Amino acid sequence: MKITARHQTDVLVIGAGASGLRAALAAAGAGASVILTNKGPLARSGITLTAAGGMQAPLHPDDSAALFYDDIIACGCGLADGDLARTLAEDAADRVLETERYGVTFVRDAAGGYALGQFPGQSRPRNLFVRGGGIGLAAGLAKACRSHGGIKVIDDFLVTGLVPDTRGAAAGAVGLGLRSGELTLLAARAVVLATGGCQWLWATNDCPADATGDGIVYAHRAGAELVDMEMVLFYPSVLVWPPSLKGAFVHYEFLASDVLDGNIYDNAGRPVLPKPLPVRDEAMRLLARAIKDGRGGPHGGLLWYVGDSPKGAAAVAAKLDILQYNYIRAHGVDPATDRVEVAPGAHYLMGGIHIDPDCRTSVAGLFAAPECAGNFDGANRLAGNGLTATQVFGARAGLAASRRAAENGGAGPDPAAAEAEAARVAARLDKNGGGADLAALRDRLRAAVQEYAGVGRDAAGLARLARLAGETRAELAAARVPDTGVFNQRLIELIELENMAEIAGLVAGCALLRAETRGHHIRDDFPARDDDNWLRHTLVTRTSAGPLFATKPLRG
Amino acid sequence: MDNSLTITVKVFRFDPAADKSGRLEQFAVASAAPLSVMALLAKVRELDATFCCRTSTCFKGRCGSCLVRVNGKDAFGCTTLVKPGETVVIEPHSRYAVLRDVVVDFSRPLAAEGEGGQ
Ligand SMILES: Cc1cc2nc3c(=O)[nH]c(=O)nc-3n(C[C@H](O)[C@H](O)[C@H](O)COP(=O)(O)OP(=O)(O)OC[C@H]3O[C@@H](n4cnc5c(N)ncnc54)[C@H](O)[C@@H]3O)c2cc1C
Ligand code: FES
Repeated sequence: MKITARHQTDVLVIGAGASGLRAALAAAGAGASVILTNKGPLARSGITLTAAGGMQAPLHPDDSAALFYDDIIACGCGLADGDLARTLAEDAADRVLETERYGVTFVRDAAGGYALGQFPGQSRPRNLFVRGGGIGLAAGLAKACRSHGGIKVIDDFLVTGLVPDTRGAAAGAVGLGLRSGELTLLAARAVVLATGGCQWLWATNDCPADATGDGIVYAHRAGAELVDMEMVLFYPSVLVWPPSLKGAFVHYEFLASDVLDGNIYDNAGRPVLPKPLPVRDEAMRLLARAIKDGRGGPHGGLLWYVGDSPKGAAAVAAKLDILQYNYIRAHGVDPATDRVEVAPGAHYLMGGIHIDPDCRTSVAGLFAAPECAGNFDGANRLAGNGLTATQVFGARAGLAASRRAAENGGAGPDPAAAEAEAARVAARLDKNGGGADLAALRDRLRAAVQEYAGVGRDAAGLARLARLAGETRAELAAARVPDTGVFNQRLIELIELENMAEIAGLVAGCALLRAETRGHHIRDDFPARDDDNWLRHTLVTRTSAGPLFATKPLRG
Repeated sequence: MDNSLTITVKVFRFDPAADKSGRLEQFAVASAAPLSVMALLAKVRELDATFCCRTSTCFKGRCGSCLVRVNGKDAFGCTTLVKPGETVVIEPHSRYAVLRDVVVDFSRPLAAEGEGGQ
């Protein structure tokens, strides 16, 4: 298999979630030609579609960018870079409202203003709500991209690796056109990675199966710095049963006394959570502890239940009459009356590719935007900041990349590097396949990540995970799949699994290094927050001998 | 095999490199719990790795990544439930060109938007 197709553009955007869509619009708006690629079909894959739709902007008369900034820093346990948090707070209102120009709409109050909710950690009501949730946001932006003459959409396209020019700057990518089966070179003057998180690595998570962290691995292989890869946000109540509902979630927040006043019960019917309901992080620790102590149900979860709510059946029915609960109901489970088996699951990646306020990475010509980028949240994230960040940093990445493309005469991709990447993919093909049981390796890896890098970690478990990740990579090296051409799903899954195994090693290494507990990184063997030593990022860089784990100071 | 623990699935198979037309292939999926069509397809994939299907979910029944044809009618695979003991026929969605098996090319609609279906 060789490169048989080639496209040329100013700016290549990899990933078409809310971040990549916004980056493409910004770059094209500045006059650059843009290729926007996506692993799945446009607006039918990625984490953005699962989002409830909360989006923060300081629009309330008593609110300000300064208050928003303070909340970001406090929620992130001091680990966000100050300049990124400031940028996020200052740009939020403009970028969020700008989405209306692309046909996105927000829920309004009776007076016609934006309905603003206030969630924990938000010192003022600051949460707008996108109509149609993440799907509404993606649909509006995707339509704008499709109808923009400067943006060429190449979806159903799996990027397998970045390609540098002869000086090491990012100059494009190689990928697999899933509709044609062709290995394709996308040559570009600047590249934006917007490939989302890697939560699919955890056996329990509430993200789509394509959240395998591809772009983060590609950036690492290209020499970019990654930071805080141990920082993964867990949601307390993700469904673990029945099988076709695995990954849906029910609201922890609805269990509060003033909402539905429910609880989460163990296998003996004992409530696991005290009242008043503890904050989410504390609840998550209690749930994880109960599961570790063997108090879980038949499928490893605990039982979320609001069926005996003192608020009455009508109140429960009204509260749960929203899309995500109707989805659960369609599977024969009634969350209003049934016990729902849940466990803490991976929800959001705070760490990732290190960026500056223009989304520049440490590799020239390579930019990264939201969930795959790393240092704007810290050790936890405010509700509604994920989507806001896609718009703020997506727009900045697109603009900065278009500037870079205009300045960069464009040496073009180093042909030898492009050939090497193509050969790496081609080497995985063999007409008889074989060499490794991909499904077994995948399941073993995901279970280990859940166990050792979930809520509650320690040195022994993380070392075991690092070892297992290495063994998995070694076993995968022998794996081969047949060359079936169009939509070669086994090849997709092999490439994704290789990426996951590599990331698992990076997560384990960073989590091992950070010998303290901060935000959602909970070290059972280092239970205290240690500001004297750990107001720093963990840092991973690539060397010829493998990943090097170190630390990096925060930027003010 | 105990009927109450099995779902019989007839899935559409089509290899664009070798086939002029598709055919149905039957699988027995063991499950005591009802499964969504999307979960069923993933199980078929575990039984036969050459079978291809879309796997990205939105958990809302709204994005359309899962569109297929179930027992002759276009449907959302993620919210269409099949019970143990039942037999189900799963084919590609009728309004898009087929890429392989039940995977369609959403960029190539066969009929104008807005006509029935989704
Ligand atoms: C259940 C859930 C609910 C949430 N609700 C909210 C909320 O209400 N408010 C909020 O602010 N945040 C929320 N979040 C977080 C927020 O949705 C995400 O952080 C955000 O949408 C990420 O957008 P993104 O564009 O960076 O990534 P994604 O939306 O994941 O987009 C990445 C895209 O890149 C593509 N891609 C990946 N790898 C490759 C490759 N190798 N080649 C080509 N393409 C590739 C993928 O197919 C995908 O389409 C929620 C998250 C979850 C899981
Ligand atoms: S997976 Fe989104 S509608 Fe079915």
